[in-house]
Amino acid sequence: MLSPYLLLLLVPAPPLAVFLILGLDPFFLRRKAVQALALLGGIAPFFAMLPLLGLCLGTECYGVMPIFTLVFGQSEVALALLLDPMSTLVGLTVAAVGALVITYAIDYMSDARIADLRRFFALMNLFLAAMLTMVLAGDTITFFFGWELMGLCSFFLIAYNTSLPQAVAAGRKAFIITRFADAFLLAGLLLLFLEANSVRLDVLIPAGTMMTEERHVVIALLLLAGALGKSAQVPFHTWLPSAMAGPTPVSALLHSATMVAAGAFMLARFSPIVMSEPAVQTIAAIFGAGTAAFGALSAIFQTDVKRLLAYSSISQIGFMVLAIGLGAPEVAIAHFVVHAMFKSLLFLAAGDITHGSDLGTSLQAMRGALRRRPISFLAYVAGAASLAGLPIVTAGWWSKEAILATAWEGGAFGIAIWVLALLTATCTAIYAFRPVFEALQPEPAHISHARRGHPVALDLHYRPRWGSGFITLPLVLLAAGSLLGGIIVGPIIRFLGAEAPHPAHLPELVAAVAPFVGMAGAAAITFVPALAAAVAGARDMRRPTRLDRKFQRWVIEPYVRLVRFLAGNRIGARAEAELELRHVQIVRWLSRGARMDGIYQALFVRPFVNIVRWLNGHRGGTVDPVGTFPVSLALQGTQALVERLAHDRFDRFWMRLANRLVRLWVLVCAIQTGRSRDYALGAALGTAALLVIAWGTTWN
Amino acid sequence: MSGATFLILLALSGGIFATGFFGLMARRAILFQLISLEMMLAGPALAFLAGGAWHGSQQGQAMFVFIIILAAAEVALGLALYLALRRGADVEDSDTITGLKH
Amino acid sequence: MGYDMELTALILLPFFGGIAALFAGRWGRDAERWVAIAALGLALLILISSFFSDGDGRWIAIERYDWAPSLGLQVILAMDGLSGALLVVSLALGIVSVIVSWKITEYSGLLNAALLWTVAASNGVFLSFDLLVFAFFWELMLVPSFLLISVWGHGDREAAALKFLVFNAVAGLGLLAAVFYLGATGETVTFDAFEVAERQIPHGVQVLLLLGFAAAFLVKLPVPPLHAWLPDAHTQAPTAGSILLAGLLLKTGAYGLFRFPPMLFPEGFATLAPFGLALGAFGSIYGALLACGQTDAKRLVAYTSVAHMSIVLMGICGGVYFSLMGAGVEMVAHAFSASALFLLIGALYDRTGTRDLRELGGLQQNAPRFAAAFAVFFSAALAMPGTANFLGEALVITGMFQVNWIFASITLISLVISVVYATRLFKRVVFGKSRRTEALEDLTLREMGPIVLLAVATLLFGMLPQLLMGALEGAVEAALVPVTVP
Repeated sequence: MLSPYLLLLLVPAPPLAVFLILGLDPFFLRRKAVQALALLGGIAPFFAMLPLLGLCLGTECYGVMPIFTLVFGQSEVALALLLDPMSTLVGLTVAAVGALVITYAIDYMSDARIADLRRFFALMNLFLAAMLTMVLAGDTITFFFGWELMGLCSFFLIAYNTSLPQAVAAGRKAFIITRFADAFLLAGLLLLFLEANSVRLDVLIPAGTMMTEERHVVIALLLLAGALGKSAQVPFHTWLPSAMAGPTPVSALLHSATMVAAGAFMLARFSPIVMSEPAVQTIAAIFGAGTAAFGALSAIFQTDVKRLLAYSSISQIGFMVLAIGLGAPEVAIAHFVVHAMFKSLLFLAAGDITHGSDLGTSLQAMRGALRRRPISFLAYVAGAASLAGLPIVTAGWWSKEAILATAWEGGAFGIAIWVLALLTATCTAIYAFRPVFEALQPEPAHISHARRGHPVALDLHYRPRWGSGFITLPLVLLAAGSLLGGIIVGPIIRFLGAEAPHPAHLPELVAAVAPFVGMAGAAAITFVPALAAAVAGARDMRRPTRLDRKFQRWVIEPYVRLVRFLAGNRIGARAEAELELRHVQIVRWLSRGARMDGIYQALFVRPFVNIVRWLNGHRGGTVDPVGTFPVSLALQGTQALVERLAHDRFDRFWMRLANRLVRLWVLVCAIQTGRSRDYALGAALGTAALLVIAWGTTWN
Repeated sequence: MSGATFLILLALSGGIFATGFFGLMARRAILFQLISLEMMLAGPALAFLAGGAWHGSQQGQAMFVFIIILAAAEVALGLALYLALRRGADVEDSDTITGLKH
Repeated sequence: MGYDMELTALILLPFFGGIAALFAGRWGRDAERWVAIAALGLALLILISSFFSDGDGRWIAIERYDWAPSLGLQVILAMDGLSGALLVVSLALGIVSVIVSWKITEYSGLLNAALLWTVAASNGVFLSFDLLVFAFFWELMLVPSFLLISVWGHGDREAAALKFLVFNAVAGLGLLAAVFYLGATGETVTFDAFEVAERQIPHGVQVLLLLGFAAAFLVKLPVPPLHAWLPDAHTQAPTAGSILLAGLLLKTGAYGLFRFPPMLFPEGFATLAPFGLALGAFGSIYGALLACGQTDAKRLVAYTSVAHMSIVLMGICGGVYFSLMGAGVEMVAHAFSASALFLLIGALYDRTGTRDLRELGGLQQNAPRFAAAFAVFFSAALAMPGTANFLGEALVITGMFQVNWIFASITLISLVISVVYATRLFKRVVFGKSRRTEALEDLTLREMGPIVLLAVATLLFGMLPQLLMGALEGAVEAALVPVTVP
């Protein structure tokens, strides 16, 4: 009797198979065949997930599909796939988003070289397979396998444009930073394995909750660090905005349902371990809320739409981490599902609108979208509304509201977090609608080729083919999901086995107003020229704008006065100037993603490079000092010895002896006639003499 | 074996050895010198056999086998050298080849 | 136990095959290469068939021959799973190295003979349990490898070969001295490792003798600060030489360390193991850091070997089940992945005439098959899950967590740095653009064969580790030593 859970194996199998076929390319496929295969591999997991969902809704929603079991000394390592509500739900979301993104990419990438096309779709399929494997994993080994494979694919995909140095650098950066965080995760998982003597999640997690206090905190913190790295949370966030150098479908897949969201999923998976440790939970909540606020603030100041969306991803996943920190992983998963829909929608729509523009993906490239690409523009509006969380009509509102309500119920600490989250939600609306309003402005008559800001995505192969169903269909489906998905937020939370939080009316009302405030703000910074200039100028604050002056009057001067008061008016003129400079630095700091890149550069990269260079003989070092040391020691030792003995008496003695011997040799040489008979005679006489001597010795 | 037989055999072996030595000294043709050498080996071989028989031990015969092998090896080398000399320098007289002196 | 001479055949077949290859050149074109492949293939068949015979507990086969019993001289050959796995590696890499050097025509008979003799000698090392015979094979290995580097090498090959010889021969003296001491001081003169293992040796003497053994093993491994010969030897050696160096010679050091110290000097080993751990920890970081700064692709891979073999050292010195198992797996995995990287870089050098990372690039655009092959072994080098390398390193880290968390974290850091150098190599070779690689021939069928073989091995042992781990079980159980780290 075949287990119905055998279907679990069929979920990641098709994209994996397509990866192998496209990667090895044994049949020398043609363009159409490559596209058809890619589409097949992208869509098949979704249809494999559907019966599983049916199974899950119908009968018992728990099943394990063992793959194989290894015996390691005393421990058993059982690899398995697992079906439970969380994996079903997330797997379905990932499969759906993956299918739609790959559908979109069929048209988007249609002009790439055939070799590049094959590589692109092979990697996209592998990426999808890796994420699905991770989501459905029933043990930590399979989980980590999928997790790392995603990191590897992200490296290849971000650096897809291999001749572009900045794309390659971005790929490396993403890989190295996530690998750094993965080391924490690996450590945590291995410690858990040693604790539980099993890698199966159903054994491991209960065992993990029953550990001693000390180990528990360590493991929970290690898991948290791993999640923060993969999810690009502060302080690991710097790789995500750079990763926008990849093609748009890559960004859409990486930053919505997979890769970055994987960290949040992992925390939800291991939430029993994290949640049984209040200190770690609080840390997670603070990191989550802090990252959400930071990401939202930074997003406002971006001039590139993909970078804006990247910071938005950082911020939204911060919300998920926050929900887990508040002890509501079910809510986090609900937000995961909704976020996957609207974020992929935003990327796909923005990619469709901006492409073909000379301005790359900068905000100005969005202008005139309504006229040029009405469907994409409307889809973008739907996504932005969902991201901003317009009340009732969007899915985003429902899931975000659940997070806010969870915070509100969490006591004094919870209310503080609630306030922060509310402000973040307001900022979210600002940056969500900023591209929308930007797009409503007329197209610039004269498009300059000099790009401002950082144009990161250069999809060299793209030539728009308007009206392709491959692009419209995913947009329409995702837009529908982003708007109507709110209906399923409540059921999702119940499906995962928790009750949807019921917020009080007042905070709910306040939270409902917040997006509108944000929208107004967005309109203000787009349409009020002074403000627009202020925001645009925030990236390079050379001269103070009017906004700056207001900021000066209302924030800086009171601050300076306060400091002066506290210091007893003894503050010097120089310190005062420094204080005035500070606000400029704050805004710049935000717009550049907290300048973490610079800090990392100074803190890690520069010292690392210096050490490596020093070890290789630059900067006054010797090449490979440790390896050279014994060699030079031995050389110097032998040299010292040899010099001491170079002209010694022993030597002269032997040489004199040798000279005498040579003279003797000349004398003896006379015997040598060369005739064999003489030698034979000599030998005979010698033998005879020996015999005589021998005979003589027997005389007594 | 009687003592007389043993003595006769020893004398015979000494005779063969002496004959061989005389040949080696007196002849200058390389081939004859080689034959003489063989005879010089045969003499002691006979002595070993006789001694072995006298003492009732197998070791004498073992030594005989050794000497046969030695003789075979020696003659193989000697003939090879002889042929090489014939071909290369066309010499028969052993006294004329003194090249190894230098 | 199958037929009786199988282990002897594993040593003698490559040896006589080498002698045959020396003269085979006159029998026909490429005859010496076919002779070499036939000898190695036959040996591989014998080896694999012996795996299916009924063993004697942990041992798959044991053979004993008396040589001069009064002097204590005898030949003892024994094979357990660890030896078996390494013999598969050695014969497979031998075949790969013959195929790789197909195009080399100068002294090709001697070349193939040297390759086969290296394999024969290292097979002897993997099989011998008579310490004197072990030491004999240990020294014998150096000769053909010295020839490989000094005759067919690149650049400053004589100096590199000499450095290789001096380092290893001097270190080998320590082994020889310790072996003679062990043989001479028993009740009867014997070099039988099984008998020596039963003796009660005083603790101080154990430590001294172990230092002698360790000198030879650590230089061969190599672990900093004794690694200076490796980068030069690897860089100047021909591709086949690099493959055998990385795949075989380094593994003999790890094998010796894995096998003999825990067996002969358990107490002394427990005393010295913490120092081994510290050395390994240092080496794993140091090698990785140096790899990050290299401009020569082969040198870069050579330094990664230093880092990975240091991790093997840590695994062996950890003395717990997981770390030892990890060390065993990592040995095999590194043999495959490092030799594959050398093979690829060698193929690139044949085409472009340079190994300088600053001049290479653009393989992705110009030679996609090349790039794909690089990608596979690139992920093996940085221990991607699914490759055997990950399995080995994860097991070592697990074991390290049982020993001391500091060593575990150092291994993890080394794992992070591995991404830096691996992506650097990949970026410079595969990505970007280069004038040198514009009209580049993609991998030929003859080059693809070994690469596919190595890739399959790497992935197979990574995905189905029970194949390898079941074989290593016995050797690991035997090497367990309680190590305490202060």
